[in-house]
Parts: sequence; C-alpha cells; structure tokens
Amino acid sequence: MTAEEKKGIARAKEIYQDRALRAKELKAEGKQVMGYFCLYPVLEVLTAFDIAPFRILGDMKEPITKADACLPTVVCPFVRSAFDLGLKGRYDFFDGVVMCHSCDIGEKASHIWRIYLDPSYYHFLDTPHTVHKAAQEQFKGQLEDFIKTLESFTGKELSTDKLKEAVEIYNRQRALVRELYDLNKSDPPLVSGTEIIEIMVALMSIPVDEGNDLLKQVITEAKERSDGPQKKPYRLLVWGSVIDNTALIEMIESVGANVVMDDTCVGSRAYFPVVETTDDPLDGLAYRYLVELKCPRTFWEAEYGETKKDYIKDLDSRFGYVKDYIKEWDVNGVILQSVRYCDIHGYEVPGIGDYLNHNSLPNIYIEHDYSEGALAPLRTRVQAFLELIG
Amino acid sequence: MSDEKKKKKKAINRLKTMYPLRANIDKGYERSVEATKAGKPTAWSMVNWWEADPILKAMDIEIVYPENYGAVCAAFGKAQAFLDRSDAEGFPTHMCGYARNCIGYAAKMKELGEIPSEAPMGGMPKPMLLLCSGALCDARIKWFQALGRYLDAPVWTVEMPHPGVEESQMPGVREKAIDFMVKELREFVVFLERLTGRKMDWNKLDEIANDLIAINKIWYDLNEMRKVRPCPMHSRDFWTCMNASLFPAGDPKEALRLYQDMYDEVKQRVDDKIGAVANEKYRMIFGELPPWHALKIFDELAERGWNFVIESWAYQAPKPMDYSKISDPIERIATQTYQWLTGYFEDALKEKEYMGYFAYPYIEWARTFQCDGALFHPLITCRTATNHLILAQDRLLSKWNVPAMIAEGDIVDLNLFDYADTMRKAEVLEEMMDHHKKVRQERGLEW
Ligand code: SF4
Ligand code: SF4
Repeated sequence: MTAEEKKGIARAKEIYQDRALRAKELKAEGKQVMGYFCLYPVLEVLTAFDIAPFRILGDMKEPITKADACLPTVVCPFVRSAFDLGLKGRYDFFDGVVMCHSCDIGEKASHIWRIYLDPSYYHFLDTPHTVHKAAQEQFKGQLEDFIKTLESFTGKELSTDKLKEAVEIYNRQRALVRELYDLNKSDPPLVSGTEIIEIMVALMSIPVDEGNDLLKQVITEAKERSDGPQKKPYRLLVWGSVIDNTALIEMIESVGANVVMDDTCVGSRAYFPVVETTDDPLDGLAYRYLVELKCPRTFWEAEYGETKKDYIKDLDSRFGYVKDYIKEWDVNGVILQSVRYCDIHGYEVPGIGDYLNHNSLPNIYIEHDYSEGALAPLRTRVQAFLELIG
Repeated sequence: MSDEKKKKKKAINRLKTMYPLRANIDKGYERSVEATKAGKPTAWSMVNWWEADPILKAMDIEIVYPENYGAVCAAFGKAQAFLDRSDAEGFPTHMCGYARNCIGYAAKMKELGEIPSEAPMGGMPKPMLLLCSGALCDARIKWFQALGRYLDAPVWTVEMPHPGVEESQMPGVREKAIDFMVKELREFVVFLERLTGRKMDWNKLDEIANDLIAINKIWYDLNEMRKVRPCPMHSRDFWTCMNASLFPAGDPKEALRLYQDMYDEVKQRVDDKIGAVANEKYRMIFGELPPWHALKIFDELAERGWNFVIESWAYQAPKPMDYSKISDPIERIATQTYQWLTGYFEDALKEKEYMGYFAYPYIEWARTFQCDGALFHPLITCRTATNHLILAQDRLLSKWNVPAMIAEGDIVDLNLFDYADTMRKAEVLEEMMDHHKKVRQERGLEW
C-alpha cells in the first residue's frame, strides 16, 4: 500500500505520525493554513474564510531545547513543547495563528509566540472566565472583532451563509466523533484508546471535510474488522489535561486495560458539544465555545448567584457529565491525569476525586512532565490501581 | 553596635513618612482582625486591583486576602504545616504556595471547627463569601472553587478582560470590555444585597471609589519622582507602603493624607538632590516580590551603590487618567481597573512589544528610569509572576543593553532564595552593567 492509498485507521496513524503531511500539500495547492491554540478559537469562522485550521500541539518525543531561552522551565511542559516546535520551524507552514486565553500560561505563551515567531497574522481571543449572560455577549463581540481581522487579512468579506455551512459541517464532524466513541460502548471496544488519540490528532491536522471522510472510513472499518481490541477486565476513562501523544494511553492499555472513554481536549471534550442553530450563527457559536465546552478553565457555579454552597451539588454541576460517561461506557475505573504545572487541572483533582468516590467509582491521580521517559514509574502505579479495582 | 553594623543600617536612606503610613496599614489589619472576630461579615478575597474592594467596603463587608495571609504565615514560619496538610489532602505540590497554605488552613479549620491555634495574627475567620478574581492567574479562580471542600461559603468571580496588545486598540474593544465589567459588577452588587440582606449605599461607594482613585494617583505621581538622579526612594519603601494602595489596607482618607506627606518628603529630596542610596552607581529594576526574609541583601547591595528605583508592574498604581466625566461609580471602578491592566498597551504596540503588562513596563521603565540593570526574583510556585521574566530579561538586553540577573526564590518556601549565590551573581552583573553602559553610550542612548 502506498502512502497516498492509506485509508481509515491507517491513514489517521499516518497523519498522526507526520501531522504536517496534508497541511503542506494544501499549502502547495494555494490554500491558507492557520495554527490555533487550545479549543477556544472558533474553527467555523476560519473554515468560512476557506482557511484550514491546524491545532498547535506539542511533541512528547522531542526534547525541549529552544523554548528554555524564552519560557521558564516551571511552566506547563505541553506549552513549552508546542512553543519549542514553533521555534524549531515545525510550524513554519502556518499563514498565521489564532491564540486564546485558555489558561494563564496559554495566554502568556501566545504573546511570547507573537514576539519570537512574528506570524503574518495573529489574533488573540480573550475568552471570558465565566459563562454569565454578559460573558456570552462579550465573547460574541470578540468573535465579531476576530472576523474583522480576518476580513482585513484575507481581503474577503465573511458571508453568513458560509458561516452557517461551516457550522453544519463541524456539527457533522461532532456527530461522527460521537458515533466513533459510541463504538466503544461495546465490550470489547471496537477502537483502542491509542487509536482514538491518533484519529483525534489527525482530525485536528486536516480540513474538516476531509476529517469527516476519514471518520466515516474509520467507523466502517472499526465495525468490520476482526483485529480490534481484545476484551479486558478493566474499562477505563481517562480525565484531565491535554493528551496529544499515544504513549500514556499505550502504557495504560499495555497493562491489561482498555481505555474506552476520555474527558480530555484532544478527545471527547473537543467534539461532544454541538453548535445550536441560531439566526445569527455567532450566538450559537459563542454559546457553544464559551458555555458548552467543559474545560475546567471556565468558572462554573451550580446555580447562578447561589448564596450557600452545597459541595456535592457543586461537584455534580461540574462533573455530572463525567458520571454520565462512566455509566454509558460502562467504565470501572478512572485515571485522573495531568501534566505538571497545570493549575487548571491540578486544582480540580481532589474535587473530582471526591465526586467519583461519592459515586463509588475507583480512581487514581497521576502526574507527568510530558515526556515519554516519565511514564515508566507511572506504569507501576497504574498496575497497582488495576489490582485495587479487582 | 559596631561601626560596621551602623554603616549597614544607613546604607538605605529610608523615608521618614514611610513609618506612619506603614503604621496605618498595620492598624488597618488589626482593626480588621478585631472586626471579624467580633462577627462582622467577612469575605475572603483575591487581590482584585480595586475592582471589588470598593464594593465590599461600601457594603461594610470586611475583606481578608488569603494571598497576603500566605505571606504572613511564611514570615511567621507557620506555613509549612499548612502546606503539608494541602499535600495530604491530595492537591498537587506544584500549585501556588499561597493557595496551598490557604487550603491546608481551611482543611484544618474544618477539622477543628475553629481557627487553628497556631495561625498567626489571629488567623482568618470563616468567610461568608469567597471572591475570585479573573485577573492574571488561574489560581485566583481555581483555588477558591477548590475550597468548597472545606467551606460552605458561596463563590463569586469578578471578570477582568485581558485583551492582547494590538486587539486592545481595535475600535470599541475598550468600551466593550469596560461595559462587560460594569454589567458583571452590577450583578455582583445585586448578589451581595441578597447575600447580606443589606442595600448598597451608593453614596458611600462613590466616595470610596474616589478615595481609591486619589490614593492611586498620588502613589503613582510619587513613584514617578523616582526617575530623577539620584533616585530619592528605594524599593524597600515602596514595598513597605504599597499595601495602602494595592489591598487597599488602612483607613483610605488617612492613607491619602499619609501618601501626601510621603509625596512631600520625596519632592523635598528631589529638590535637595538627596538619594535613597548615598552613592548611586547602579539604578536597578526589581522584578517580582522581594525575598521578605532576606531584605538585608538590599542594604548590602546599597553599599555597592545599587539603588532600586522601580519594581514590578503588578504592584504599581495605574497610570492616571481623567475620571471626572464618569459619574457612575461602578463605571469609574471598572475603568480604573481596566486602566491598570491595559495602561501600557498603547505604548507597547508602538514599540511592537506584545506582552503589554508584566514584561513591557520593564522595557519602558528601563529607559524612562534610566536603569543599568535588573534583579529578577522568580517565585517558583507563582508562575504568573515568573513566566514573563525570561522574556523581559531578553528584551531588556537586546533592546536597551540593560542586563538582568535571575535569583530564584518562592513565596512561601523561603529557603529557596540563596543569599550568597545572589551576591556572587550580583558581582558578575556589575561587570556586565559596566560593560553595557559603555555600549549604550556608543549606541547614543540617553543613559
Ligand atoms: S495543559 Fe493545563 S496549563 Fe497546559 S495549556 Fe492545557 S490547561 Fe493550560
Ligand atoms: S499564583 Fe501568584 S498571582 Fe496567583 S494567587 Fe498565587 S501568588 Fe497570587
């Protein structure tokens, strides 16, 4: 089979292994490719301008050598890795970047990216922290400004119809990802957790229509193949900070478990919320990206303006969807994981642990420094955890 | 006292007016502790740069700042037990030291049902509200959310937009951001009224908002006088007195009067050409909070002619602007806070510097305060205070030939600061400063 002929899961793996593969071809065809950081840059807008979005990720295998000259070592190693790749020219094919206020270091690294990499187009989306009505309006206003900058960059005017079309095609992608994840409700799951990472990374590296074709191939293949994952006693959900490399999941799956579900941002978190159809598409988009994305970077309260805090109710409002996943995917253990120095996830750990314990769901917290070498000692902890589940 | 000791004590010429100002701050703390002990409703609040403080004060809610209390516990040597407790509760050890201190404290308080006896300065009483701030770091939201484990107080977050430098100058962005803050603050007032069962005293709010603007104005103007040679006021005086503006601690009217006295004293020194350091050889920037337990290092450096003339942006008052046409106190409050956050952005954009706060002010000040070098003190567990320092170091050198040294420390783990090593590095920095001074002159720069 030649490189061009690969399809489905093999094609996803191929793109995962060489993320820029398709993007560079697109560039050669004259298409613009725009890097974006985290989940908050609204992809529908880029697509409506006929720009291919490409998610900025790190590379666990690549030692960080250049970023240290611009960023201290005590910040999120994922961000440092992504920035390191930028400095090494791995993202030189971008026509520009769209950054956002994901977290403190995400914000600062965005500005640092602009200073050191000097992209032709740069826009920073200042995502609000709360989901109040005023915050939604504020975010919508920011999307209008974002559109203005793209209009001046591309020399094109955004058409509402094209934006609506983009919403539809992304919603199709989200539905297909759901369908893919649904395949893992069976026992054994039809797609391994490792393959899921490869597919998600591939989706974030190619245009949305091509992603949809890829997903259809993957779903058909997974349903038909006989060499899928084996039945194992442990069906795990992995929660936490970004996982854009297969190493961690491979390690977990190599000790006798299937990772059947995730709540991470190169996974279900990025795809499960859909955009509601609204007269002004920006209303639906602002709502989906600010309110529906379930990243702990956003401040949620169980009840707006509550004057007394009920801890379990609070946890339920923040993590209730994880409980639903656990039920639907018949999960019997949860791995809470985070990269070191991630405050967004770090502060959540005892809370989500309490919530899972309250619902009698075994869980364990593991922390790593976004390098393959750091995974070895974690292997023993995961093994011990599995023994505990029994 | 030996002659040497006498000499060391005098190396920095402290401002006389600093003492009563500090006393007012301390008195404010004591009053606050007494009031909360007497059962006055208390909010635990993140430092919020005057966005929520005036509203809480106008509603007669006492404010306790756990960030500040973290520093108190560290200074009293009481932080470690609380940090250990936070670790035992399962919170990652890399988190903000002040947050871990507070989490450990809250866990202990819940367990005992009362303020832990080892808590210094009377401890922090059980709050009726936890007030997060959207400013700067994630800890300012996530930490109080996590406290739900131990406290049943409601949590509220005041929003603070953080536009990019160029984005902030787009038409309408400033207005929209302020409008957003205003809307959120109005909701906050409604919420507080429900929580306390009291009505907002709008006249009082108006007065407090004005007081804080006036305090910040005089504090800003006073610090501007440090641009002259020799610089009349050392960073030590800044740190001793900044709380009257930053928190804002102490009676505001009294603080205003005392800042005015301080202004007069600094002005007199400017007129008389009196420096805070006898022979000012190196005009220095200090980056981040100082090593509180090792402040004597500044005396030793002062003996070598180091005069610290400016410090980190985050603790400074906003650039003054005209608020007289803003009749609504909430809008005035939001405008001042937004001004603090974005006040340097327009100039930053002109220079194509895209980290408009934290890093850019150092770059501007290096020129306007005519600095020779910088001493950066990154705080290992406060990443917000740390993540821009390498950038600032790089930009200062490449743009102005102003070298900076880095001496690591922490906000609660006081042992991290290596005094002897810092002094060794300081000697090396002196050589670099001498060299770069010549380069600046060759480049035709003003200093
Ligand atoms: S892993 Fe955490 S710290 Fe890193 S970019 Fe994501 S949210 Fe921010
Ligand atoms: S991380 Fe720094 S800025 Fe944030 S709460 Fe802690 S000490 Fe304050």
